[in-house]
Amino acid sequence: MSEDELYSPRNPWFSISVGVTAAIAVLSAIVGLIWLPLLQPNLKLAGIWDAICSAAGVPNLPRPAAAVPPAFKTSNVVVTPEMLTRQDQVSIGRGATLAQRCAICHGPQGVSDANSPNLAGQYAAVTYKELNDFKTGARVNVVMSPFAANMADQDMRDVALYYAYLPRVPSSQVNPNLPAPAIVVTGAPMRNIPPCGSCHGEIDIKAGSPWLGGQSAVYIKAQLQAFASGTRRNDISEQMRNIARQMTAEEIDQVARYYEAQP
Amino acid sequence: MTSETDHSPGAHGLGEAVAARIERRWATLSIVIIGVLVGLAAFFGIYHTTMPQGRVETADPTTLHLSGEFVESNLGSVLEVDGSVTVRAIGQQYSFTPQCLVVPAETPITIRATSADVVHGFLIEGTNINTMLVPGYVSDLPISFKAPGEHMMPCQEFCGIGHQGMWGKVKVVDQTTFRNMAASKRRLTCVD
Amino acid sequence: MLINKRLILAHFWLAFIVFGAALVLGAWQMFERSPLNVWHFNPEFYYRSVTAHGTVMGYVFPTLVAMGFGYAISEAALERPLVGRRWAWAGIALVAIGSVVAMIPVSLGLASVLYTFYPPMIGNAFYYIGVVLVVVGSWIWVALMSINLAVWKRDNRDKPVPLAMFANVAGSYLWGWTAVGAALELIFQIIPTALGLTTTIDAGLARVFFSWTLHAIVYFWLIPTYIAYYTIFPRAIGGRLYSDAMGRVAFIMFVVVAMPIGVHHLFADPQVGAGFKFMQSVFTGLVALPTLLTVFTICASAEIASRLRGGRGAFGWIGALPWKNPIMLATALSLVMLGFGGAGGLINMSYQLNTSIHNTQWITGHFHLIFGGAIVIMYFAIAYDLWPHLTGRTLDSYGMMRTQLWLWFIGMIVTTFPWHYVGILGMPRRMAFYDYANPAIAPQAFSVVISAFGGLILLTSGILFLIVLIRGQFAPRGEAGAYSFAIPLHMPARIPVALNSFGLWLALMIGLTIVNYGYPIGQLMAVKNTSVPAVYVGASR
Repeated sequence: MSEDELYSPRNPWFSISVGVTAAIAVLSAIVGLIWLPLLQPNLKLAGIWDAICSAAGVPNLPRPAAAVPPAFKTSNVVVTPEMLTRQDQVSIGRGATLAQRCAICHGPQGVSDANSPNLAGQYAAVTYKELNDFKTGARVNVVMSPFAANMADQDMRDVALYYAYLPRVPSSQVNPNLPAPAIVVTGAPMRNIPPCGSCHGEIDIKAGSPWLGGQSAVYIKAQLQAFASGTRRNDISEQMRNIARQMTAEEIDQVARYYEAQP
Repeated sequence: MTSETDHSPGAHGLGEAVAARIERRWATLSIVIIGVLVGLAAFFGIYHTTMPQGRVETADPTTLHLSGEFVESNLGSVLEVDGSVTVRAIGQQYSFTPQCLVVPAETPITIRATSADVVHGFLIEGTNINTMLVPGYVSDLPISFKAPGEHMMPCQEFCGIGHQGMWGKVKVVDQTTFRNMAASKRRLTCVD
Repeated sequence: MLINKRLILAHFWLAFIVFGAALVLGAWQMFERSPLNVWHFNPEFYYRSVTAHGTVMGYVFPTLVAMGFGYAISEAALERPLVGRRWAWAGIALVAIGSVVAMIPVSLGLASVLYTFYPPMIGNAFYYIGVVLVVVGSWIWVALMSINLAVWKRDNRDKPVPLAMFANVAGSYLWGWTAVGAALELIFQIIPTALGLTTTIDAGLARVFFSWTLHAIVYFWLIPTYIAYYTIFPRAIGGRLYSDAMGRVAFIMFVVVAMPIGVHHLFADPQVGAGFKFMQSVFTGLVALPTLLTVFTICASAEIASRLRGGRGAFGWIGALPWKNPIMLATALSLVMLGFGGAGGLINMSYQLNTSIHNTQWITGHFHLIFGGAIVIMYFAIAYDLWPHLTGRTLDSYGMMRTQLWLWFIGMIVTTFPWHYVGILGMPRRMAFYDYANPAIAPQAFSVVISAFGGLILLTSGILFLIVLIRGQFAPRGEAGAYSFAIPLHMPARIPVALNSFGLWLALMIGLTIVNYGYPIGQLMAVKNTSVPAVYVGASR
């Protein structure tokens, strides 16, 4: 038998293998693309062509469902991992000028002992998002809200990049000997509490999550309590409220004290 | 088989023709077994309409919170006019929102869910409810629960370092309780 | 006739060394996620370890075994020195370099994305580049196998290609085509994102590309095992191969249908249409056929050997088999694990049953039983069989070999059966730890402890295996004779050209890929706005 004869309908190996393969493909295509979809009432198909398209995976436009609008302001910042991760000298320079009015509370070098958050070395995406949320009212604070209200989008980016550029300064409370509590290291898996560090930077970063080391315990505790009670709701899709409301008062205390003592 | 004999083993009396016949019988049996298995899958697909998701839908994971059906205030369970229930949820690093789903027993339910960042998995323990949440696409699946009770709802796909902490809950209540809850709130969850 | 013994030995040694290292990680993972361990530790270490374990066991170890065994088959079956010896050394060098390049970022915790990549999570670019180098190295092997077959055919027109070589080349083609899916995903999607050239990636499309590789890679792992079933086992127990032609049919079926069925891994994915899922599930059914044929042929071959040794009765012949022979023992244990694993596989391939176990520990149990059990135990057998020929020294620690094989079998059962069980209970896979104190999952704790002990048994067996090989390397010199393969009961004088060549089958393989994957891939590429932001893993503070 020569090669020529193999690719000939007269060769049973050729005709049977190609025929069987094609038959299975065609049959399964008819069943999978036409018959089975038409049998499913919940698909509400508009005919055979619609059946084929949807079973083949042609995307449908999202259904215009009437969504319940939020009863409160939610954050409208689109946070992406690469957001504000590039240094920009011009922006940092402008940010330095703008940041002078922040120094009263946040310290001239972005570090303060006044229980307001330290901003030096904070991820730019975090500072930018919080400023934005203060401006839109998604987050409310008597001091911050008026400041943010007058800031342009570029101002917020500049300030955020400037603070990200400043080196983190260890707070006066640093205590490297303080052991990490279980709630920080492992969280409580069955209560939907992951390790803090899986988002906040010690292990990995989730965009929009702040660096916590050196922040005042009073501030951390107040924010966790606000997330837990729902008085602070600018975390996108409840990502932090889900965690805080599962934490016990004692765990909130432990976390606050631990992070205050970290560099 | 078109192979030809050039010697016969003889010693144990197994002729080539016999060998080929037994082999053919086994091959036929194997094909029948596989045919039955594939047929069963098709059968259940037809008579229990348990088929994979029928339509592909897309959703932008970065703007879920701005508009559309996955805004925070629209997540949770809603009683539709036809008596069925729709549950909308999202998966994100490292929680489901709502963190606790409340649904009625013995009611047709449609789950509509998507991911806000990476690939997550949606699994309700003690049931066969199990699907993937792939960012960019909406997962839509019909489910129902036989009886009231509580189920754990872990993320079943590796989604980052906090994956092991991504456990939600499902609370199944009886129909009357659910209807009473639905009368006072437009979107139901069992998050305290 | 084995000529390039150093080349082949280098492949096997490298394979088994990395296997040993990954086995240690595996046993550690079993322990640390069990209730035996206090789970207060950084979960990142677990995911880092799983990434290394999976990458080595999935990409490096079986590839090296297939390559080394492939070169041995080429020389022994075709009875001529390997053509392209220098290229073969380049191939193993690429695999070795790729492994190191991949493992550096993994061990630093810069690429804890698991060996299945999971975009849009993106780790350090060198991890992916290393994996690509491993694949490119193996493609050199694919080309060499094809070239060696062609050179032999040119000089041996009208002669049947020896079954071992036919199967070996079938496996190489299968791998060559199978690896394309992951290669496309890595080269066109993941690596550009990891290098920062783009910051978004279509995760749905990436998953489809990966499914192209994900299922058929298992058959690539399986082919050396099946070659051993067909061509080593009957000879080693003093019997004949029942049917040469059926062997060829089985390997041809693997080439044609093993690859274009990967979408059954995406049954629960929202980005692929239900119609294509159904089509591929039908073809998934077909891939069970070559295995059923193989089980028959191998059992029949064993019966022939037994009756030649005086075995009697309908079942009495089983007792007359040479059970003290490690190859006999390994094959029997392998078939038992293949039976259990295959039964589990039939459940996975059905959309309806799959939903109750999808991505639970059941799946981990399933592929460890099939790959780690049925397949790897035959890698041990292949090494035991080849070693005296490669080293020129006697390998006669049979007692130790049998102990090792039994331990592997017992370890694999003890590990994977509890995994299957907790999977049915709904235990999700790939979690660093579980809070077993919680009543909702407390009933799973006992099973997890049992499987952790299974991990220790497997580790013991692995160490024993390496000891046997090392002893073989220092044993007294002994002439092992020419390396040979099993002779069929009825040696075909002439076989149909269809069973002696690959053109038709490769055309069917590619054609079926286009039918089953062409539209889903094309359509996902065409859809706009489904690329999502990359989530960089292990980024600096």
